[in-house]
Amino acid sequence: MPRYSVTHRTRYTHSTPVGSAWQSLHLQPRNEASQHCESFELHVAPHPTDLASRLDYFGNKHHLFTLHEAHKELTITSRSIVRRDEPALTMPGLTPPFAEAPGLAERAVIEEDFSLGQYLHPTPYVPLLSEALALAGELGGDLDRGVSSLDWLALFGDRFHRAFTFDREATQVSTPLSEVIAERRGVCQDFAHLLISCLRQLGLPAGYVSGYLLTQPPEGRERLIGADASHAWVSAFIPGAGWVDYDPTNACFAGSSHIVIARGRDFSDVSPVKGLFSGGGARILETGVTVEFAD
Amino acid sequence: MAAPTPAPTALDPLPGYAGLPGRFDECRAPDGSLRAPWAEFLRQLGPDPAATLKRAAEACYRSVLEQDVSMNVYAGARSEPKPWPLDVVPHLLSASDWAVLSDGLRQRARLFNTLLGDLYGPQKFLKGRVLPPQLVMANRQFLRSCSGLGTMPGVFLHHYAVDIARSPDGHWWVLQDRMDSPSGLGYSLQNRFIVRTALSQELHGMQVERITPFFHDFGLSLTELSSTPGRREDPRVVFLTPGPANETYFEHAYLARYLGYPLVEGADLTTRDRQVYLRTVGGLKRVSAIVRRVDSGFCDPLELNSDSVLGVPGLVHAAQGGRVVIANQLGGAALESASLLAFLKPLCRSILGEELRLPSVATWWCGQKAARDYVLDNLDALVIKPSFRERRGSTTRYAALLSPRERDALAESIRARPGDYCGQERVLLGTTPAWSGGDLRPVPFVMRLFVSWHEGEYRVMPGGLTRFDPTGADAIVSLQKGSATKDTWVISEGRPRDTPWVMPAESQAGFHRPESTPSRLADNLFWLGRYMERTAQLLWILEQLDPLVGGEVATLDPEVTRDSLRLMLTAQQDWADEEAPLADIAAQIRANACDPDHPGGLASNLGNLIRVLDQVKVNLPPEFWGIVRRLRAVAAGGNPLGAPDLAQQLASLAALSSETLAHDTGWRFLKLGLRIERARHIVFLADELLLPDRPEGVPDAPPSEFRLQTLLQFTGCLFTYRSLFHGVFQPASILSWLFGAPENPRGLRFQADRISEHVAALPEELAPRAVSALRGTAFRLVSNAKLTDPSLLASDPSEAQSFFTEAEAILSELNHRLTHTYFSHSEVPGGPR
Repeated sequence: MPRYSVTHRTRYTHSTPVGSAWQSLHLQPRNEASQHCESFELHVAPHPTDLASRLDYFGNKHHLFTLHEAHKELTITSRSIVRRDEPALTMPGLTPPFAEAPGLAERAVIEEDFSLGQYLHPTPYVPLLSEALALAGELGGDLDRGVSSLDWLALFGDRFHRAFTFDREATQVSTPLSEVIAERRGVCQDFAHLLISCLRQLGLPAGYVSGYLLTQPPEGRERLIGADASHAWVSAFIPGAGWVDYDPTNACFAGSSHIVIARGRDFSDVSPVKGLFSGGGARILETGVTVEFAD
Repeated sequence: MAAPTPAPTALDPLPGYAGLPGRFDECRAPDGSLRAPWAEFLRQLGPDPAATLKRAAEACYRSVLEQDVSMNVYAGARSEPKPWPLDVVPHLLSASDWAVLSDGLRQRARLFNTLLGDLYGPQKFLKGRVLPPQLVMANRQFLRSCSGLGTMPGVFLHHYAVDIARSPDGHWWVLQDRMDSPSGLGYSLQNRFIVRTALSQELHGMQVERITPFFHDFGLSLTELSSTPGRREDPRVVFLTPGPANETYFEHAYLARYLGYPLVEGADLTTRDRQVYLRTVGGLKRVSAIVRRVDSGFCDPLELNSDSVLGVPGLVHAAQGGRVVIANQLGGAALESASLLAFLKPLCRSILGEELRLPSVATWWCGQKAARDYVLDNLDALVIKPSFRERRGSTTRYAALLSPRERDALAESIRARPGDYCGQERVLLGTTPAWSGGDLRPVPFVMRLFVSWHEGEYRVMPGGLTRFDPTGADAIVSLQKGSATKDTWVISEGRPRDTPWVMPAESQAGFHRPESTPSRLADNLFWLGRYMERTAQLLWILEQLDPLVGGEVATLDPEVTRDSLRLMLTAQQDWADEEAPLADIAAQIRANACDPDHPGGLASNLGNLIRVLDQVKVNLPPEFWGIVRRLRAVAAGGNPLGAPDLAQQLASLAALSSETLAHDTGWRFLKLGLRIERARHIVFLADELLLPDRPEGVPDAPPSEFRLQTLLQFTGCLFTYRSLFHGVFQPASILSWLFGAPENPRGLRFQADRISEHVAALPEELAPRAVSALRGTAFRLVSNAKLTDPSLLASDPSEAQSFFTEAEAILSELNHRLTHTYFSHSEVPGGPR
């Protein structure tokens, strides 16, 4: 059971002093079945007087603070110790054929958990584009719909992964999904949003996971893409298995190297650091993430 | 129901009036008799109702015209002012109708308040499937960051509005519910005040319920909700508006003023420590309650719509901390869903254990198969609406009016995302008489009624905003822009409750606390003063252009003319070649003055003046509004220099600002702007005329008499100087009059004294050291003016130059210190990165 030490540093540098700042943070790793956050520290400089936290609608820890002294630099550093297990994955054979999955998911929304429904609708970063549905047909239309739902997700995810190129320069947070589809390039966040749009349109509830990857992998294993910053992947609701985390950037199910910070419908629900400033002129934002074994 | 009335006879007071086929008419019953409220109203109108109504309609129109400025200027600078469409004929409601309506509305308010509390709380109605979860989960108006607000103490739905219509069988049908930031209360109040003057006898004779006690209770409830037990602090309630660009800004201003709350925009408020504060020139003042007219989604760029420039960063967090009362609480738009109407009956039964008393218009939510099939089978007979309230405009569609292709596309969209649509019955609206072309005729109408929470229960305003399409067309479900309005009279059974009404003392005190002038308002008033003065001064010197070019001075002392013309260019931020012919320079000056896009020109300054006036107009008495309208006409005319009454309007504006406004802190900022501008202008004129730029080697000659006279003329001192100094144009006495004389209201010393007085009266709590530095600067200006030696200035150009330079520097410093101390803490957040 790996134990990780995570350091996440965000630094804003302003060309002229900022009078006030308002910040909203989703930085504290979640506690869930296969993950336990042993400790969490948040350091903000300059020191705010009103740092407070709430549990958000999705059960994530949400920190907020304001600063009202003039400053040119703001640093937000979080340090977490997280124990993380390999999530228990249902045997694929125990999940129903993919052809039945949308119907079963719909029933689960109606009969079991109404809140699953919110992962089927368009959200700010996940419009239900017809291009995304067409892409899903292009990539997975010929897949055998009789395979188990979990196998289908792995097969579809693999094709999805191969259809796209990871390119840090290609997109920004504001790049629309249609452009990602057209250019076939993007970063983990784009791939997550696009896969979510595909899955939702196929009838599978799908959400967004914000998290981290181990920076330096154990000896002999390849370094995963997206390890030097915060990462993002998809959580799909698979009937018979429940929520299953899948990482389209690395074409794998999320494992013990994936650390979950927060879960939501898309990036807008769980943005790690979101801020507003008054004044300040030009602004530079630098982010640094280090994930190491704690022991 | 209405008491039986006699069948129509030869004495029918409305022989020509008949209802429309298939509709319920408020005035005439199907058997031809007049319904009781109308029989009584016509009796009150006297032997010749048409003549009485004609007089009343004229009186009403006059009142509307007197006030229409205030209603139309906010439609934007380009729009043509048009009178507020108010029909003097009231919409009459009998006591029995009112009993049904008010009872039903109170029940709906309780139902929605309970639903909202649960929605933003435990969500047990979703878990129990009492409320179809998809109506919430797919709804962008359900604001997840507001989850938890439903369990706050107090009330979620403080006030609420309903659009309601009369069906052909005489029953009332709710068309839509508005629980986020419903508009119309201010307009209802305004309508009543106007109609009350036009039909005062009838209003009293009919024993119409008064609506003002409703507003009294509205204010009291906010005071109560925001009072912290055991804390002796006056609650500070503010009225949050999206600002002058909003189409209902007028009513925000009207209502805020009536309730005695400061009208604020998002930028006037700030949050820290989960508290909300008002930025004032006296520092941050804690806000205990907010009457909100900004849609929930736009209220907090940090946690809600991040593109919003109308909100207050941190407002959600403050609300979550329970430190501020928001009326209404954030998130109510989630229930402004047309599809929800399909479920109100069962919801009411299972949540309140009561039958729903006021039915909604028949609605079928396509998220359910049976309903979807019904809608698709009956598409042409129904109105198709989106399930959820959209951010912009309505996409309501009448399938019967669509082309076959559009109709198929609509059916296809419904099949693709059925939960996003609902079908509603097309309601044949009931009619009520409206005054049109000298006669009464039936028009289909919709009423907007209002409910507000007070002392643990809901109260309904006995009145409302009745709207109709003036062309008589049937605006089937939602009345579009361009509708006309009516006052709504509720006839009381017995005497109307005659509770004397007084404005709540607390809120009045809150508004007038001098330190409470919001920083942004002070800033705007300061610039109002500056643009008023700058425009007036510029106009004054430009009016000297023709006499200068055409008069004898041009030939007798061409240097003075050339310097004066150069000055007129410089004052408008332009310049000309040394060699340019005078006629060309004069043409250039006129062109600058008339070009609104030439920065610094007369037209541009006038435009800025109007813009600032629009910003602060709601804080000024109605006398100002007429001036704004006329200034706008001058600006639209394209030739402010040739406008015959511009000078007069500017003079009226200056007089009003001195003699009508309260001499409070805000006013001092206006006057400071004006005084600083005038002082700068005096120094500028003296510098330009007495020390004109001369090529190297040309010796400074003593100023000619014409030059001195021109300076006096330009500064507006010629008349006073002549009468005091008997026409002796001596440089030293002229400079003494211009700079050192405390009794010359157009001189520098006078401005310095006033500036010093105003600055001494400004609040200092905000930043004591900065304020004391500001006072020091003002004192330097006074001493310089006082101690200057006019004969030295007159004899030594370098002495004069350094005096002018120093005076300019002090005035700039004053401007900078004022801005920095009192205005610049009105921080405006930038966008998210």
